[in-house]
Amino acid sequence: MTTLIKLEIIRALRNKKFMFFSVIYPPALYLLIAGGADSKPIPGMKLDMALYFMVSMAAFGAMTAVLLGNSERIAKEREKGWVRQLRLTALPGRGYVAAKMAAAATVSLPSILLVMIVAAAVKGVRLEAWQWFAIAAGTWLGSFVFAALGVAIGYLATGDAVRPISMLVYFGLAFLGGLWMPLTILPQWVQNIAEWLPTHAYTALGTAVEAGEAPHVKDMAILAGYLLVFAGGAAWLYRKDTRKA
Amino acid sequence: MTTTATTTATPAQGADRAPVVSFRQVSKSYGAVRAVADLDLELYPGETVALLGPNGAGKSSTLDLLLGLRGADSGSVTLFGTTPQRAIEQGRVGAMLQSGGLMEGVKVKELVRLARDLHPRGYPLDQIMATAGITDIADRMVDKLSGGQEQRVRFALATAGAGDLIVLDEPTTGMDVSARQTFWGAMRRQAQEGRTVLFATHYLEEADEIADRVIVLHRGRVLADGTAAEIKARAGARRVAFELDGPIDREALHALPSLTSLEVSGRTVRIQSHDADATVHALYGLGLYPHHLEVSGLGLEQAFIALTTASDAAPATAEEAAR
Repeated sequence: MTTLIKLEIIRALRNKKFMFFSVIYPPALYLLIAGGADSKPIPGMKLDMALYFMVSMAAFGAMTAVLLGNSERIAKEREKGWVRQLRLTALPGRGYVAAKMAAAATVSLPSILLVMIVAAAVKGVRLEAWQWFAIAAGTWLGSFVFAALGVAIGYLATGDAVRPISMLVYFGLAFLGGLWMPLTILPQWVQNIAEWLPTHAYTALGTAVEAGEAPHVKDMAILAGYLLVFAGGAAWLYRKDTRKA
Repeated sequence: MTTTATTTATPAQGADRAPVVSFRQVSKSYGAVRAVADLDLELYPGETVALLGPNGAGKSSTLDLLLGLRGADSGSVTLFGTTPQRAIEQGRVGAMLQSGGLMEGVKVKELVRLARDLHPRGYPLDQIMATAGITDIADRMVDKLSGGQEQRVRFALATAGAGDLIVLDEPTTGMDVSARQTFWGAMRRQAQEGRTVLFATHYLEEADEIADRVIVLHRGRVLADGTAAEIKARAGARRVAFELDGPIDREALHALPSLTSLEVSGRTVRIQSHDADATVHALYGLGLYPHHLEVSGLGLEQAFIALTTASDAAPATAEEAAR
């Protein structure tokens, strides 16, 4: 099982094109959105645009790398029959899911760090050392939830259906979770939905830290719940996958 | 003649031992298509078994059921007295699937090491690579292999640890003649170490040369089961070939006893007969003088064709007639 995890990480690092775009695109998007913003607080929040979008773009970038990367790659591996071959080994379902999540986390970590570096260097974001550390760790660990979701989607959908489905989930979660614009400026019904979405809980970890608070227990509980559901579902689907795809 | 009536379960050896693989009344349908129909099958330790059948006979479905990659609609499949999944988790089964892809973006060596580490009783890496004949391509990327090299890597994955049963689906597809010989050499050594080997193949000469038991599947059922010699004998027919001088009276030849087919080309006559002695005797009785008379048994390939076409010509089983 550790061999598989190591091998999946090596593969992720070898895939230079995917690595490059996954790492470059979140900081680029950050500069595009928050680049011209002033330092006035966002209505209804204590944070300004530069701070808010540092967390949401780091989250968005991590989510891109792990969710889209995983779902498409897994669907392809099922089509090619590699997963069939793997099912003829003693590998438990959780081993497969763990390896895929580890590979995704390898890609998401540098993209998270780069957004934070750009925010500090270009937009002059200044925080306490513990805040930098907590935001990086929280955003990275939180990305595991979406990595597991990516594995599950890779198992639910086949072939041509994978991309539209993962895109729909990805954009839906990003928008409704307030990754593209602060939730406080969105209608109330969106805010009501958002409260229970993994994406909102995900960014809320970072924004709480930015505001000088500890991450809220409710957000952590929501993320842990989604992680269990997605990872458990993915492991179950791996074992139950009796279609050739 | 119905398909079930022709079934003879005569395991070549070890009938007194516990079966390695056991299918009991197993059925599997895909929509309206019955891929496997009430299949009964047992494999015993140390046997090398070839699974033959025309396309769509249910070979791949049978192997999928055996390996637990699909579940049966009814009946039971047991491996070593347990479920296929448990047997695989215990590392008792190695398999090489036609549809089994390889992980991309890794080196051959890395992939084989993975298979070895996932196996509860994995062999040393060098040994696996040498047995499969892939030592020279150890550092090649998996995506850059030829068809024959891919097959050898699959073989390495199937034999990465100490198992008791090896299942191979069309293992030599894409290999050239010498690679094929090397492959079967390695396979024979596996069998000599006491493993049970089950392989599906399109190459009937492979079944003839390598298997000590041949199972012919047709329409998801066992049509024949025995040694290659027994299968050939079961097909019944023998070939009679000779040359004749002067005009050939096809009518008279066609009336020969026990004749099942007649082919005349130039002066050469080829006959298939299910009683060659009677046919040849009657031939002389016609007052003919055949030159270069040859009487020979059918090859496994002809026997196979004779068996399956005879089954196709026979009235369908009740349930098939009902559809």
